[in-house]
Amino acid sequence: MTIAINQLSKEFDGFQALKKIDLQVRDEEFIAILGPSGCGKTTLLRLLAGFLSPSEGEIVIGNATVGNLQQTLPPERRNIGMVFQSFALWPHLNVEEHIRFPLMHHRFVSDAIKRKQHDRIKEVLQMIDLEAFADRMPNELSGGQKQRVALARAIAPQPELLLMDEPLSNLDAELRMEMRSEIQTLHQLTKATIVYVTHDQGEALAMADRIVVMNQGEIEQIGTPSQIYSKPISPFVARFVGKANLVEGDWNDNYFTPSLSPTTQWPDTGVVSEMKQRNIYPVRPEQFRMSADNQDESGLPGLINSVQFQGKEIHYTVQISNQTWTVHTDVSQQFSLGEQVYLHLFVPHNMEQKNLNHQAI
Amino acid sequence: MKNTSNTYKEIMPLRALSSLFKMRFLKIIALLAIILFFLIPVLRLVLLSFQVDNQMSLQNYADILQDSKTWTVLMDTILIVIGSTIISVTLGVFLAWLVAYTDIRAKKWMQVFIILPFVIPSYISTLAWTQFLGANGLYGKMISILPFSLEPINLYSMGGIIFVLGFSHYPLVYLLSVSVLRKVPREVEQAARVSGASGWRTFAKVTLPLALPGIASGGFLAFLANLDNFGIPAFLGIPAQIDVLSTYIYQQVVGFGPSAFQRAATFSVLLGIMALLGTLLQWLLLKKSKRLETTVEDKKPRVYLGKYRKFVELLLWSFFLISSLVPFVSMMMTSLLSAYGLDFTWENISLKNYQFVLDTSPKAKRAIGNSIQLALITTAIGVVIGTAFAYYRVRKPNRWNQFSEIAISLPYALPGTVMALSMIFAWMEPIPGWNPGIYGSVIILFIAYFTRFLILQVRGSITAVLQVDASMEEAAMVSGSNGLSKWRRILIPLLLPSILSGAFLVFLTALTELTVSSLLWSSNAETIGVVIFSFEQAGYTTYSTAFSSLIIALILFGFISLFLFQYLWNRKVANVK
Repeated sequence: MTIAINQLSKEFDGFQALKKIDLQVRDEEFIAILGPSGCGKTTLLRLLAGFLSPSEGEIVIGNATVGNLQQTLPPERRNIGMVFQSFALWPHLNVEEHIRFPLMHHRFVSDAIKRKQHDRIKEVLQMIDLEAFADRMPNELSGGQKQRVALARAIAPQPELLLMDEPLSNLDAELRMEMRSEIQTLHQLTKATIVYVTHDQGEALAMADRIVVMNQGEIEQIGTPSQIYSKPISPFVARFVGKANLVEGDWNDNYFTPSLSPTTQWPDTGVVSEMKQRNIYPVRPEQFRMSADNQDESGLPGLINSVQFQGKEIHYTVQISNQTWTVHTDVSQQFSLGEQVYLHLFVPHNMEQKNLNHQAI
Repeated sequence: MKNTSNTYKEIMPLRALSSLFKMRFLKIIALLAIILFFLIPVLRLVLLSFQVDNQMSLQNYADILQDSKTWTVLMDTILIVIGSTIISVTLGVFLAWLVAYTDIRAKKWMQVFIILPFVIPSYISTLAWTQFLGANGLYGKMISILPFSLEPINLYSMGGIIFVLGFSHYPLVYLLSVSVLRKVPREVEQAARVSGASGWRTFAKVTLPLALPGIASGGFLAFLANLDNFGIPAFLGIPAQIDVLSTYIYQQVVGFGPSAFQRAATFSVLLGIMALLGTLLQWLLLKKSKRLETTVEDKKPRVYLGKYRKFVELLLWSFFLISSLVPFVSMMMTSLLSAYGLDFTWENISLKNYQFVLDTSPKAKRAIGNSIQLALITTAIGVVIGTAFAYYRVRKPNRWNQFSEIAISLPYALPGTVMALSMIFAWMEPIPGWNPGIYGSVIILFIAYFTRFLILQVRGSITAVLQVDASMEEAAMVSGSNGLSKWRRILIPLLLPSILSGAFLVFLTALTELTVSSLLWSSNAETIGVVIFSFEQAGYTTYSTAFSSLIIALILFGFISLFLFQYLWNRKVANVK
């Protein structure tokens, strides 16, 4: 099911939570909405679900306008399923009853499923691997199992649009990794369009077909995970997704001079024009190399400010003049606190020097 | 994508238009009803206190303040309220500290005994205490056995009123203090100890200031309860000619002077001002203290009594036995006597008092019928309206329903005599010049109970709705269910246990109500409280104690049923195997 969001705004008591959002979602697409808390991502999801009505603009799901300034189609009349952050399981119903509930009430359940309700319940239980737990109550399930019941309830009526509100944030780190692949499998099985809200860039990068990065009620960038990661078009996206250092300086055609070191020249590794206009070179922590001596005199001198050993790599912060940059290196090279180092930009050998335009969507 | 577009075209424009209009309309109606039922009566009362011969005047106040009797009543009221509040706070905080922090055992059972004086109507407790400490009571028997002579205690005195009030209302202080004491994080106390403060200093400098909001709220509730209590000063004070504001207002109204209503209204405003002063004091106290951010109650003991534990437990249980059990046993003993004043021996025991109350006396029988009917109707209507309002208040908070909640809580916050008086003024002639006979029939009792006790249901239901996360409901909605099926299958099963607690409280309070009914009853419209009061005033102590014992049995039965129901329901919901 496609979604078209046109000039959508939402205001709460004078606070502008969403500012004229435009977004097109394709059929069967897995789209992640990524942003820090308070960026409006949950508001957008709740508008899609029908729990909120727009202050301006419109939402079209499929070919029906489900929300605009005058009217809002309530959630129970939309062909959707939803997974909540808190799971929202009903404490008085068991696993099987949770799956049966939407089969009985959802308006878009196909006749085939309605006729064979029992088979569908079994099928869904199989999909989430909880056949042996059909008559367990929510308080008898582990966190991961609860999450799977919440997923099962959402997909049981075969909705064409699946909304997920930070579904993994209540799980521990290991379980989160496991559930990522389960959600991907469910996406392939159900072929539903998925709108997935998260503040965890790892989740968004790992699962989504496209990512929408939001900040302060506005969309910063829309793109595939690799576009968002390696070609951020705004300082916010560079920092939030790639944890990039925003190095200030001057862009001249195809090289960059950091203002801290006027003699250094960095080649263009595909920085987008939006960043060039701002005279910023976004450098992700793993794009720096560090050396103890400055042989070719192209390194920026700095002092190691902190060292965090992470196992397969080491995270440093380096003080350069009055700025602090983050650098990740592998463990082959180790520096200690207070040591003088020189920073270089790592340029891959097969680097194409041309400027790639990001794909406008 | 199926035919959503059709559904949309058919339903949306109509739905959007009509619901918008209906909602607005309903809101206005609801708001008008709330103003009519909850605010106007109080306004009329205040207005009447400023009226003489339909003219605005301060004459009522001048008359009353020049009367020396007024000053005696005010002084007695202040003395009694301060004295009894000190008893309530001391007892409540001390017991709360013991239960919250020390390692004494059987805390749950102690809690039952602490709550007991609170759920039993205060006029029944008073009867019990008088039977226990009276000349023929167990106490009298006990001291007569002693080798030295002890004066019997006369409860029909200032001291007696202070004592019974203080003992009836300490549970309020206890309940609020115990939860706030448990919420004081033990780490902050440990931090004080590590910083070099002694145990006592830590309590005084850290624990007490942090627990102050709870203690002050409890103390304030006890203050209000002591101020507006009617049963205790009526049973103990009226025979001894000690008047407090609540009983004095009552006597003004039943005494029917030429200006009885104006005088009563003026006294009511004075009583209201005293209650407001108490609120102000509490507000000033609370303004300075910081609220605790912890929400979890830490129930593990912090103070280990060691070898003193057994001794403390023994003292506590003796206290509970003497304060919560023995008086009621004494009362039951009196109710079983064939004539008042006889010794409690086998040949003097009979059930004839019970037979009189349940069968012979038409007045008592009518009262039981009336009270049960009133309590049932009040509870049933309260559950529906109270829960609907609570749901709306929690899920869509706005300033209109905030205002409405304050309005709804007003009749309960007012002293009962004041509230009853305002009901008379509002409903005797709802429109000036038109008397539909509401006052003088059972209908005014129903209106009064409903307006006074609705807030109890609203509070209970608000707690219930708050416990159910909005996402539970949203999950039902995206599953395609809204309206009736959402309520039937999801909300009601989740809300019911807590709603029932509220409903039970309303039922119990309405069933045994005395203060409001004592001013609003009429012949054929008596209530249980009024009849017990009239038996006691006429000197039929065996009847009043028999009736009271019956009520206590009924209350205990109700509690056990509610407890069993909630236990079974929770077991069904939790499905504990």
